[in-house]
Formats: sequence, C-alpha cells, structure tokens
Amino acid sequence: MTLVLKGVMQSPVTPLKADFSPDYGTFEKLVDFHVRTGATAISWPHHKAESHNLTIAERKALAEVAIKAVAKRVPISIHVSALALEDTFDLARHAQDKGADAIIAITPYFWKYPPEAIYDYFVTLGTSFDLPLIAYNSPSYLDGIEFTGELTARLIQRLPNFIGMKEASFNSEKYFEILRAALPLRQNFAMIAGVEYLLPSISLGGAGSYSSAGAICPNLCVELYESCASGQWDRARAAQYKLSQLWQLFRDQYPSSLKGGCVIMGRPVGPTRPPLPTASPERIKFIEKRLAELGILDSEPHGW
Amino acid sequence: MTFTFGLVHAPLTPFAGGRIDTRTYGKVLDFHIAQGAEALALPMHAGESVSLTAVERQDLLAFAIRHVAGRVPVIAHVSEAGTAIAASLAAHAKAAGAAALIASVPYYWTPPQHMLVEHFAAIGSAGGLPFFVLNTPSEMADVEFAGKSVVELIGKLPNFAGLIDTSLDWQYMIEVVTVARAERPDFQFVSGTEYMISASAIGATGLLSPLASIAPRLVSNLYRACRAEDYGAARPMQEDAAILFRLMRDAGVPGLKAGAAAQGRDCGDPRAPLAAWRDGGALQTAMAQARSFAAEPRGWA
Repeated sequence: MTLVLKGVMQSPVTPLKADFSPDYGTFEKLVDFHVRTGATAISWPHHKAESHNLTIAERKALAEVAIKAVAKRVPISIHVSALALEDTFDLARHAQDKGADAIIAITPYFWKYPPEAIYDYFVTLGTSFDLPLIAYNSPSYLDGIEFTGELTARLIQRLPNFIGMKEASFNSEKYFEILRAALPLRQNFAMIAGVEYLLPSISLGGAGSYSSAGAICPNLCVELYESCASGQWDRARAAQYKLSQLWQLFRDQYPSSLKGGCVIMGRPVGPTRPPLPTASPERIKFIEKRLAELGILDSEPHGW
Repeated sequence: MTFTFGLVHAPLTPFAGGRIDTRTYGKVLDFHIAQGAEALALPMHAGESVSLTAVERQDLLAFAIRHVAGRVPVIAHVSEAGTAIAASLAAHAKAAGAAALIASVPYYWTPPQHMLVEHFAAIGSAGGLPFFVLNTPSEMADVEFAGKSVVELIGKLPNFAGLIDTSLDWQYMIEVVTVARAERPDFQFVSGTEYMISASAIGATGLLSPLASIAPRLVSNLYRACRAEDYGAARPMQEDAAILFRLMRDAGVPGLKAGAAAQGRDCGDPRAPLAAWRDGGALQTAMAQARSFAAEPRGWA
C-alpha cells in the first residue's frame, strides 16, 4: 500500500457524442491530454464527469478506457459512488479487476444517518477490496453529512488501505480538523482539496487537489501547485486568484460551462446529459470573453 | 487617512456588581498592550458589545482612548441593528478619537444585499474614519456581505478600508480579495479568527483576535510566522489555536472569561442573558491539549 498522492490530480469530464452516447475515442484523447499536461494522477468519474448520468455498464466500459489510456504513467483511481450501495461494491470490484490503482467513494447519497453509519460503510468498503481507498467529504452537497477528525482517525486505525481524503468543504476549520487528526496517524495521508484551492490547503499541510479547470488551463494548475509547494506565495496568490475566478465561472451549471470552455480551447467534448443543461452558444461566447480577460487563451495549449 | 490593520486584540469587558469595572478594564487594556497588541478593537462581541447600552459603549470607548493615551490605536466597534443608531455611534467614535471603525451586518434583520451596502455606506460616511466591514455569517443568521456588494461599497465609500472575515470559507475569502483588490489595490483583508495560516496564504495582512485574552503569546507567534509566510513553523501553533478556537466557539464569551480568570485575570461574570461558564473540565482539557498554552502569561503582568 505505497500509493502516495500529491499535486493537482485531474478528474476528466465524460465526452459525449451529439446523441449523448459516450464518445470513447475523445475520452481516450482527453485522458491522454491530462497525463501529458502534468496531471499527477487521474480519477474518474467524479460528479464533474456526470457520474450520476451514466449507467453502471457505461461506467465500467469508460473506466476500462481510462485505465488503458493512462497506461500506468500515473496512478488512476475510480470513483465508485452510486445511489445504490450494491452498485458501489460492483463498481469497486470491477475497478480492482481491471487494474485501477485506487478507489474513491463519497459518504452515501440522499439518506440521513448517524456518523457510525459512515464508519461502518467505509470499513465494509475498505475491507472488501485490497485497493487503496480515498474517502470523499462534501458536507454542503450532502446536507451536513460529513467526516469529522475523530471519525477519520478511527477509520485510519481500522483500515491500512485508507490513504487519503477528497475534502470539499472549502472551510479552514473542517479541513484542518481532519488533517490534524489524520497526519499523526498516517504520515502520507493525502488531504486533497475538492478543486484547485491549493493556497489555503497546502499552507495548512495538504497534499494537493483534484481539479475543475485542468482541461482548460493545465499550465496554470501546475504553476499553482509548484509555487505553493516551493513556498513562492506571491506567485501562488496570482495563480490562485485566477483559478478561483475560473471556478466561479465553471461552478455555474457544472460541468456544462466547463464543457463549453473545452470548445473554445479546441478540445470539444460534446454536450452534457439532462437534467444538466448543455452550454448555449451565448454562454460559450461569455466563457470565451472571460477566458480572454484572464489571459488563458494565450497561456494554455489549444487543441489536443 | 489610512490605517493598517495588523495584530489587533479584542479585549473582554469586565463587570463588577452589574456595572463596567473600569479599574479592571484599565488593567485589561494595559495587559494587551504589554502582550504586543498593535491596536485594540473594542467593544467587540468578545467584549459583550451587544449587552452594553449606547451610553456605556460610548463611555467605554472614551475611557479606553484616554487610558491607552496613544500607546496603540483604538478601533471602535459600532455594529447595531438600526442604520442611524450605528451611524451615530460611528460619529461619536470619531469625536472621541478612535483610529478606525468596525461594523457587521445589522443585528436581527436580514436585509437584501443593496440595503447592506446602504447600511455600511451610512455608517462609514458618518464616521469618516477608515472603515472595516466585519463579515461573520455564522453569528448573523448566515447573512454574508457578498463580493459584488464589497465592490459596490468601494465605489460609494472612499474610506472603506477592508473586510474582516470569520467565515473560514475559502471560496468567499478568495473572491473578496480578488474582486476588491481589482477595484482598490490597497484593500485590506483581515482574519477575524485565529485560522491565520489559510487566511494569510490567501492574502490576509491583519488578525482580529478574541483568543488574545487567554493565549496572547500563541496568537502573536502564530501571527508573526504567518506574516513571514513560514507556514511550516506556523502549523503546530495553528493546531493549538484550533483547539482553543473550537472550545471558545462553543463556550463563547463565558468561556473566554473563565479562561482569563483561570489565568489570573478575573473579569467578572458575563452579563445576562449569558451565564458564567461552569464546564471547567472542558477548559482544563483544551488548555492541556494545546501544548504551548503552559507558556502563556498568568496574572496582569
């Protein structure tokens, strides 16, 4: 269990054809693009990849494409969360069989349950598979269901394969409570911010982040991580302020605006499945204007 | 007219026999100055501002300014529910010799953003001093002073100097710094909690500290390490500050007063409706967990 995660890790969107069917060819190109442009790991399908809008069969087929496209160049984790926990275990078994390096799972959706249920769920998941396990904490999306420092510590003590947490509260207190409970128990435990909020998280002792904007501006993601990791805080602030403005832009109708931005960068990935909207031509124009204002069109790669 | 918000302490207000104990208050102010406060902000919520009458608030401020006698600047906290009432506190604070003003969104009401802009513009204009908005949604029914409203207020109020934030919300903090500094490059961002590492990395240059009443040494060391951007050195201090912050977030002013008393600085009980803190066990546990706490000053020295 030696997987150590750090840096900006990319979670690709899911390219779709005009008829909304999975575009396997473009998916392969996108995964390859992320690896070539500095992703320190790949993780798929996060919510940004419309995980909830894909069937279990589609998720398995696309996971296999992703694992093949990464080709061991960087670690790849598969996000196995589904509404029904039976599906989660099925996806995890599939990820393990097909050669993924880790699985990642959020606290179960929709239901309200006590912290002990979170503990039991992750113990079952973590002991059912040999793969390293990353937990995903998202209190605002899951209406207050969340990890505490104490719960995290107990899971680390119980599960040798519990290696990190995607922590998406964007809150100093919540983030730091988990971090300071985890690191003394597992030195390489990776505290991973939900998207590129590296300035406030690396400074607190975090390992890196997943990414919203990596398909648009991989150079900026690398710049932000490297300036934080090397303690060049003025440089880091400049990059963070820009990336946060991109997050404000893409968070709206996530990930349809992001997919709209990909069109402008010459890497079209198709529409977004309902109930999410697909970015309109007007919305794409607006995104283009913002990307130009932020200097992204000049500083980032165009095309594949 | 500029004011640089550095390390600012938020003193407790001592009471004896139901009245403000000015003799002890003088000792409180001297203590904070001796402990390295670069300015004092009073009476903040930690100083039970909400439980003081308007006359008491004005007298307290005037006393503090006389007592401090220019050793450090005194910042007046003028938050109120009504705009005109807050504005009159601001005008009084200027006349009394305050160096700057702090105001939160109005108490109780939850007005729309454009009314918040008007509220702050009226207070800031009446005061005519460097003006800081205190954004503290967890204390104010989740009312937050939005980034776009910060920009609007910058356009309306030349003396709007900065924002003090207790939200701990990275998305909000970075948005405010980004949009405000695009309008006013010297706009100050201040952490209103001792989660100083992340705030400082984001661009906070000041700290308004309630914990300075019980752990001034820790607060000062943490602040200095963060200003030097030595976050590795700051992390153990941040851990201790987090332990104390979380205890006091739940315990409130009664906890701070109990902590100060345990350190040999009795400021009396808080005023009703707050009651004296009775959970000495939690206090002892937190003080023992926060490893640097043993080195904190005891008594009024």
